[in-house]
Amino acid sequence: MSDTTVIAGSAPRSFRRFIERFPFLPALVILVVLLALNGLFEPNSLSYRAIRGLISTYLALILLSVAQTYVIYAADLDLSVGAILSLVNVGIIMLMQHLGGSPGGVLLACGAGILIGLACGIVNGIVVAVLRLQAIVATFATSILFTGLALYVLPVAGTPAPTVYWRTYGGTFFGFPFVFYVAVAIAIVLFLIARTRLITQLLSVGDDQQAAYQTGLPVTLIRLKGYALCGVFAALAALCVTGDTASGDPLVGGEMTLNSVAAVVLGGTALSGGVGSVTGSVFGALIIGLISSLVFFVGTPSEWQNLVQGLAILLALMVGVLVGRRAKS
Amino acid sequence: MSKLQLRGVRKAYGATVALRRGDMKLDRGEVHVLIGSNGSGKSTLCKIVAGSVRPDGGEVLIDGRSVEFSGPNDARKAGIGIFYQELSLAAHRTVAENICLAALPVSGGVFVDRAKVAETARRYADLFAEVAGTGFSLDATVESLRADQRQLVEIMKTLATEAPILIFDEPTSALDRAQVDCFFGILRRLKEEGRSIIFISHRMDEIFAIGDRVTVMRDGETIETDRIADTDHDAIIRRMVGEKGELAPPAEAANDAASGGGQVILKVEGFSGPGFSNIGFEVTEGEIVGFGGLHGQGQSAVLRALFGATPGNSGSVVLDGRSMSAARPRAAIREGFAYISGDRGRDGAIAGRPILENVTPIHFLKNRLALARPSHLRNKALPALEALKTKYAGLASSINSLSGGNQQKVIIARWLIDRPAVLLLDDPTKGIDLQTKTDLFALIRELAAEGMAIVLYSSEDAELLNNADRILVFNSGAIARELTGSDRTRYNLYHAAYEAA
Ligand SMILES: Nc1ncnc2c1ncn2[C@@H]1O[C@H](COP(=O)(O)OP(=O)(O)OP(=O)(O)O)[C@@H](O)[C@H]1O
Ligand SMILES: [Mg+2]
Repeated sequence: MSDTTVIAGSAPRSFRRFIERFPFLPALVILVVLLALNGLFEPNSLSYRAIRGLISTYLALILLSVAQTYVIYAADLDLSVGAILSLVNVGIIMLMQHLGGSPGGVLLACGAGILIGLACGIVNGIVVAVLRLQAIVATFATSILFTGLALYVLPVAGTPAPTVYWRTYGGTFFGFPFVFYVAVAIAIVLFLIARTRLITQLLSVGDDQQAAYQTGLPVTLIRLKGYALCGVFAALAALCVTGDTASGDPLVGGEMTLNSVAAVVLGGTALSGGVGSVTGSVFGALIIGLISSLVFFVGTPSEWQNLVQGLAILLALMVGVLVGRRAKS
Repeated sequence: MSKLQLRGVRKAYGATVALRRGDMKLDRGEVHVLIGSNGSGKSTLCKIVAGSVRPDGGEVLIDGRSVEFSGPNDARKAGIGIFYQELSLAAHRTVAENICLAALPVSGGVFVDRAKVAETARRYADLFAEVAGTGFSLDATVESLRADQRQLVEIMKTLATEAPILIFDEPTSALDRAQVDCFFGILRRLKEEGRSIIFISHRMDEIFAIGDRVTVMRDGETIETDRIADTDHDAIIRRMVGEKGELAPPAEAANDAASGGGQVILKVEGFSGPGFSNIGFEVTEGEIVGFGGLHGQGQSAVLRALFGATPGNSGSVVLDGRSMSAARPRAAIREGFAYISGDRGRDGAIAGRPILENVTPIHFLKNRLALARPSHLRNKALPALEALKTKYAGLASSINSLSGGNQQKVIIARWLIDRPAVLLLDDPTKGIDLQTKTDLFALIRELAAEGMAIVLYSSEDAELLNNADRILVFNSGAIARELTGSDRTRYNLYHAAYEAA
């Protein structure tokens, strides 16, 4: 049990501290490797156009993973983020249709969409933090509820978004694509949020809920705020999806829920709570995106694509876990 | 008027009464010591004052006004700071963040004011700068710290509340001499400022070094308060023991013949490992050897190491004349060891599985069975369960459907099918009712009479005194004293356990 045994059999202390401080490093390495591989198999994939396409397609998953990160910080989970995304997507499509496609109407609809996301998040927070139901089961149930609402609002996919909306999202301003501005704005917002007291409190609750309570932290309120924040970011993801697909689809987010969880884990955030970073989740989401495009570029036959994609994600997870474990041991 | 007063405070967890009657007065500018054996209700009393446990009855008064807290946050605002015995730290947060966690300074209403956090934390960390040791810094995560350093962080966190009432629930259990001296220096200064301090420790010398008054607790009751200057070591121990201390050692355990003659079954020499060092003892055929002392002085660690459940041990273990070194429980079981822990959830029950499966795993292992034949297993399991008078609906019902005591009987039954040579009991009666305990110890004595060698660690002194032929009292990972024959009294047991470490 002496210090010497600890040092002898394990990674150098500096490496350990490095990984502790930047838990997303393995994800960054995997991301760079994937970018290189993509460039190798399809040189065009590193072009300006392709990167722009990648961002506008995966911005939604990035935001959804960020949303998921905030609840996972507190050792909670939200299996309804995809359903919230769908509900906000159809919600704003219908609102924009009613309000007409004017810029004012579009902005109003976007604001309403964020409020819908916030409301869904608060519902989740009440169910999980206040009523103390198991997060996995409870948010699975609310996901069915939100999907049901989305199907009521728009039973079949297809209603188009107003031209001004998707033109803006796909457009270029002052020489830069709109999504680049969005990405920069999001980066700034995430940077600021990471410095708020709420994040430290969420992480402390995730570390040890009993200890946080005994310290005097308002644990229920903190978890509730985590879910509310998650709902807002799921709504922001919906705004991006709407810009990317230019239409309403009541089931669009369904598949993205577990992708968001995978992205968070890939990014080095622990499902058991207490450690992690949104930066990692952003990288994780990009990894998932790049893996699907790589599978496509190497010319995998379509019937094998899912299998190869699954294997690749498993591999990425293993690399991340092994590096993390080495750093800990 | 007292700063803090408790009147008849009560708390029960189901059938366990944690605090029967808490009465005490805490004055301004005093260090008030609480002392009592393990489980006497000290922590429960403190947690009630700190708002993290809601009392069933009684009254808490601050400055003469009755208060009722809805949670720890409430108590903090009312001016109470507490050091929790089990600590209340966030492992992945930094030292600085932990120190300030209760009231994180913010700028702009929402952002953590890091400069302020660092400055506040530095103020309290500097108090211990000399004694904190290597690896301690404000931006280290708590996870990376040693046990004593974590305890220092919890102390700093408590001090940072700047509360007029400070409660320290065993703050020194992992600290070394220099750290304790440094901490006591700070306590003396706080006392001079007029703060009121509750201090809990099992170390007698510390109590006399820092205390002004002492309240002794026994079986969930505050017995009496004395000025430290008017009392002494022996008087305090006599209070803790109570009338029960005057009882002669129970007749039943007077199995002195066994400790005299018998063939040696287990011989341990120079046994060291994490949490204990240089342990040596012998157990003869049919003997029950007791491990005593305060919680966590190495008793469980020794038993778990003998069973091969923890790595990193050295020394010699001889079983039936064969030298052995169990690297894992699987090997230890084949050699003839059995281990029963009071922590069923971690060490015993196979949760959610039928009773039959929970009775037979050892039988499987020892006989290297490959196939499960229910009728055969049932014939093996039934007599074992019968012997313990286990109450259950059917062998196929899940172990979780049983009460704690009956779960424990199922776990014990698994060792009765193929008898081991040595039975290691690690506080086996945790959470078991009185009747079951009586049954259990009757059985244990029966097993001993049939020639099994038994090592019993119990956190309840009565169990040791009533059942063990010899008691080895542990202190700081070593055997401090051996009690045999008529020396086995509660008084001697406490005396040895509370001797300065
Ligand atoms: N949350 C709980 N649930 C059930 N029983 C409890 C709980 N907390 C305490 N107890 C029981 O209440 C009794 C008093 O416990 P408490 O922690 O107050 O003792 P203590 O005097 O602090 O002991 P120690 O010296 O070991 O810290 C014990 O028998 C304990 O098992
Ligand atoms: Mg205690």
